[in-house]
Amino acid sequence: MVLQTGGIDYTSLLYALSFLFVPVYIILGPRLQVYMALNDIGRGLSRLKLMKDKARKETIDYVTTTGKTVGDPSPRIDQFLDYVTIMPVDIDPNGIVGKIDHVVTVRDERVRTEVGDLVSDKNPVTVSVSENLLEVAGALNNIHKVVRHYYLLGKKTNSYFMLLQLQMIMPQIVQEADALLNAVDTFKLAQPVGDGIGPVIASRYMYGRDKQVVAKDTVMSISEYKGRKLYVMKAEGPMAYVGQPGVGIKHIIDDMGVKPSAIIMIDAALKLEGEKTGEIAEGVGAAIGGIGVEKYQIEEVASGHKIPIYAILVKQSILEAISAMRKEIAEASDKVMTILGRVIEEKTKEGDNVVIAGIGNTLGVAQ
Amino acid sequence: MATTSVATDKKTKFTVFTIEECPACGQKTKRPFQTGDYITKDGAKCAKCGNQTRISLIYAEATKPA
Ligand SMILES: [Zn+2]
Repeated sequence: MVLQTGGIDYTSLLYALSFLFVPVYIILGPRLQVYMALNDIGRGLSRLKLMKDKARKETIDYVTTTGKTVGDPSPRIDQFLDYVTIMPVDIDPNGIVGKIDHVVTVRDERVRTEVGDLVSDKNPVTVSVSENLLEVAGALNNIHKVVRHYYLLGKKTNSYFMLLQLQMIMPQIVQEADALLNAVDTFKLAQPVGDGIGPVIASRYMYGRDKQVVAKDTVMSISEYKGRKLYVMKAEGPMAYVGQPGVGIKHIIDDMGVKPSAIIMIDAALKLEGEKTGEIAEGVGAAIGGIGVEKYQIEEVASGHKIPIYAILVKQSILEAISAMRKEIAEASDKVMTILGRVIEEKTKEGDNVVIAGIGNTLGVAQ
Repeated sequence: MATTSVATDKKTKFTVFTIEECPACGQKTKRPFQTGDYITKDGAKCAKCGNQTRISLIYAEATKPA
């Protein structure tokens, strides 16, 4: 159809004009996308800010009410949130694990003594929970700071690709931050977390038996299972400790002279999307997360003495690992006990020694 | 955007329960979590046989979406 008024061919005119959109879009398109990315990231950023402020406030609340701090703890806590740990140089990696261990130990010691000074309530659970809350608030503070850095840098330099990358990972960052914030409530109530499934299992073998300290915050009991002698260890609960299982296992083998025919580690493991919470996986190798120091120590002593390491893992998401233990995870404990019994029977003989380590944060799980 | 998964997660409310188990007869009692509860802590006397119970599990269970 041809529209004609006063001799002007509108259709042709519109057609010609439509070609103008191409250069306009080429010039303005990226700007529009930058604008949209900035908007998107800005929204996420303000959520992150809310989260980090909430974690800070909850930490201050806990330290004041439960920890019974004298005076205003906020300046002290703000100082903690920006606490930096400088990792050792890695251009000459020989012996770096020892150095990392040293730095991390010094940091942990310092945090604990300072938190101990800060809270008047000397109950170890309160002190350990305060430590963990500070850790969470510090992590959220850091996440916010880093995201803000790239947001502002992208804005300043108008760098579309920097902003695009940030925009892409933003949902995951917010999700992780959400998990951290969730952990705050669980920690404040001193409830066992999903990561505590290893300690729950170890605790069943340890209850009512003599405990001895085998490493910092780590205890061990000797028990019996179908003719095998079990050296069962976990972090000392019900404090929010993870202990030093690497040092503990080394102590049992090197200092106490125990010759185990197997080391069995029980830990929480991150599930993949689509996997069920509370699913159990078996395997070999040192089942322990963290910075890698403990894992290294366990592998060193195990390979040095040619001791096989078996792993029993309970699957969960990051969110589930640091918030109150889900029913599915708790109910996996009976199945883990059965599997553990089977592994002991299959892999060792009567009269053997077996080291069993329940790995994870032992908050709300005593022994 | 992808924040929907977080949003749906938030709709599920969790209540934390404490399970007290009797070492003598195996009777299990489920009650809401109270501050100060921890696994292996002594619980109430067993309703069935009067023995001292022990907290065996503490877990969060999803309640109906709010
Ligand atoms: Zn009973």
